[in-house]
Order: sequence, then C-alpha cells, then structure tokens
Amino acid sequence: MLGRPQIVILLLLLLAGLLWWRGPGEPQLHSRTALIMGTIVEIKAFSADEVQFDLAADAAFAEMRRVEDLFSSQRPKSEIAQLSAASGPFKVSKETARLLQLGQRIARLSDGAFEMGLGRLIRLWGIETDKPRVPTEQQIREVLERIGPEDLQIDGTIVRKADPELQIDLGGIAKGYAVDRAIDVLGEGGLRSAAINAGGDIKLLGDRNGQPWRIGIQHPRKPGAVLTTLPLADRAVVTSGDYERFFIQDGTRYHHIFDPVSGRPARLCQSVTVVAADATTADALATAAFVLGPIKGLKLLEQQDGVEGLIVTATGEVVQTSGLQRIEP
Amino acid sequence: MRRSDWLQRLTPFDRKLVLLLALVVLVTFLLPFRQEKGQRVVVSSGEKILFVAPLDQDRVVDVPGPLGSTRLQIAGGGVRVLSSPCPKKICIGMGEARNRGDLLACVPNRVVIRIEGGADQKGSYDLLSR
Repeated sequence: MLGRPQIVILLLLLLAGLLWWRGPGEPQLHSRTALIMGTIVEIKAFSADEVQFDLAADAAFAEMRRVEDLFSSQRPKSEIAQLSAASGPFKVSKETARLLQLGQRIARLSDGAFEMGLGRLIRLWGIETDKPRVPTEQQIREVLERIGPEDLQIDGTIVRKADPELQIDLGGIAKGYAVDRAIDVLGEGGLRSAAINAGGDIKLLGDRNGQPWRIGIQHPRKPGAVLTTLPLADRAVVTSGDYERFFIQDGTRYHHIFDPVSGRPARLCQSVTVVAADATTADALATAAFVLGPIKGLKLLEQQDGVEGLIVTATGEVVQTSGLQRIEP
Repeated sequence: MRRSDWLQRLTPFDRKLVLLLALVVLVTFLLPFRQEKGQRVVVSSGEKILFVAPLDQDRVVDVPGPLGSTRLQIAGGGVRVLSSPCPKKICIGMGEARNRGDLLACVPNRVVIRIEGGADQKGSYDLLSR
C-alpha cells in the first residue's frame, strides 16, 4: 500500500514525465531570410531541432551564393561572364555545361522562346540598371543577329559561341537551379519538411508537416492580392510576371521578359506560373510560356510530363493546364 | 485500495499540492495553443532586427540601410515601401504586405520587411510565388 510520500513522489514523476514527453520531438516551423541573387530568399522548415535547422539553412544560403558566383553575368569572374568574354572555345565546369544543356533543351522545345543569349539585348534596354531606355529598331536588330537555339555548341565541357559577340544571360534559369541546389542541401542537412522561396521561385521538400504546402500565386495586377492558392508537396513552383521589373516611357510599360524574335518585352501574358518536379525546369518553362503566349504556351506546358501551369493572359483571363489543382477561395 | 481510503490518506496540504501539480500540467499543455499575438511588422537588415511595430497602428517610419533611409508606411493593416534610395525602386513596386508571412525587401538597401503573428486567415498561404 502506498504511503503519502510515495504518492507525492509518483505524482511529481508523472509531471516530469509529461513535461519531458511533450517538450522535444514536436516539430516547430522555423524560418530564415537572406538577400541573394538580387532577391529575398526565404527558407521555411519544420524541425524539432533548431540548431539542425540553422546549420542546414546556413549551408543552403551558402550554396545559393556559390551558384550566384558561378552563373551571374554581373560578376566578371563567373564562368558565364568569362564565357561571354571568350572569343573562342571555352572550357566550363561540368555543372555549368549541364545547366547550359538543359537550357538548350528548353530552347529547342519552345522553338527559341527561351533563349540564353540575350545578354546584349538586356544591356541595350538597360532593364537591370537605374536608367532603362527603349532602343531603336536598328539597334535591336543588330544584337539579335545569330541568336537562336544553335547559338551555343556544347561538346562535353567545351562551349563554342556561334558569334564571338554573343553574351550569355542565365536570368531565366539560374535562380531556379540555385533553389534546386539549396533544397538538396537542406535535405542533406537532415530536414524532411522544408520550402525555399527565392523571389517567387519555390521548391518544396516533402509536405508541410503532414499537410500540403499552400502556395499563393500573386495576382499580376493587384499588388498584395493572391490570384489562387495551390496545394503542393515535393514540387517546384515558379512565376514569371511583367509586374515587378518594368519602366514606363511615353505611357507604355516595358518589362524584363524579352521576346527573342522581336527583341521587345513579350506582350501576350501578364504572368505565367509553372509547377514541375524541379525549379530549374519550371523557371525556364515559365519564361518560355510567357514569351509564347497563352495558346502556344499552354500547349508547351501540356506536352511536358509532370508539368502543370497557369497563365494570366494580357487581357486578364486565366487559363490553366488540365491537371492543375487549385484551392478555391 | 479503495478510492476513499486513498483520498483519506491525503492531508489538506497534499490535496493543495495535487491540485497545484494538476494546474501546472494543464497550463503546460495549453501553452502551445495560446492565442497568437496581433500581427506585427518586423524590419531587419542581415541578422539584425531594426524595428518591430503592430500592424494596426498607422505610422510612417524610416529605417536605415547602407544606401540611406527606406521609408515605410503602416496603414490600414498593411505595410508598403513609400520611398527608397535604391536605383530601381523594385521594393516600391512590390506593393503591400498584410498577411502573416508576407515579405517585402529592398535588396540594394539590405532591408527586409516581414509580417509576423496573427491567426491564419481564409485563403492564407505558406509561400507566395510572385
């Protein structure tokens, strides 16, 4: 038979047990932000171990900075800047060669709507500077000469430019690649439920602690408003829109997604959202579909296995691929 | 041992102790479910938090960055960048943040603005693709 002291001790042990049991082990949502690749990068993850999350997030941000150093056309020492400056065959890393090959594949799939050789055109418009301008038709024609899916020949790690003047810009694919690499690093760091958002290029690792992640899609004409929400896990989501980087001259809005045929901002869409297995592909396909417009763009997305998409046309209509699931408001 | 025997063995002090322990257990379980604080704006630069303010009190505030002051306006339950010393003014074009988890940033001036706290709203999301 239990005496009074034993009962009190038992109760105290029970209390201690309950406190210990519910303390650790319960995954908490952690988040970190950093400014990388000219945008804000946010990492969110569920983890019972905050130290584990911090270490993994630090490593993921470091990986994104490494990718930026490798592919930025603004950094003279990057492989891409050196390739642009090269007048003959140029040896790149296997990693760069793989990304260029993927870009070429999407350039071919999209009949040249995705194009990695627009560096000179982007500089001509000055869209990345504080003094953007509308070039003349003749200036545009000059920089568009010899641009197309065959403007780069890649043989292993040796890259040859069809035109020595060709300037490479991976703005339509590098951020997606960086996001893919960073999510791999988070996984290697032991996280199983995580998400990265680099200015709209999103990659998800697992689900949201047992539920799908809810991905809001920005309304292209209502700042701060959401067009729709997508329930997703283990997928990448990328949106390309005409509303973030633009300037207005003589009442006309000029944005940063250029049509490689006209050399002018593509005019058929307000935004394109692509859902795919990886952010690299989603990034490039979003740019390609934006340039192609709603009819050809939607067809391109429908033709790709495991790819879904949503397009807001220039007139504000919303069209989407047949398999896209949305959370209705 | 009958229940009444067990209870009779406890002194008034024991009963108070048991009640106190039960309360501690209850409070410990309820803590995670406590009501979220109201929504607030958290402005940071790098790992350093520069400014925190409730979202329901209108105000204009200047936050410093390497290029100069970024001016924020908190009004009507949202926050936006009013002016910025950065060259391209993308932060101004980002519009308003008003939902938990929303982010605005001026990359050149190293200013990050985040909405924290508050409950999930209808149609809320975890991440925004923009």
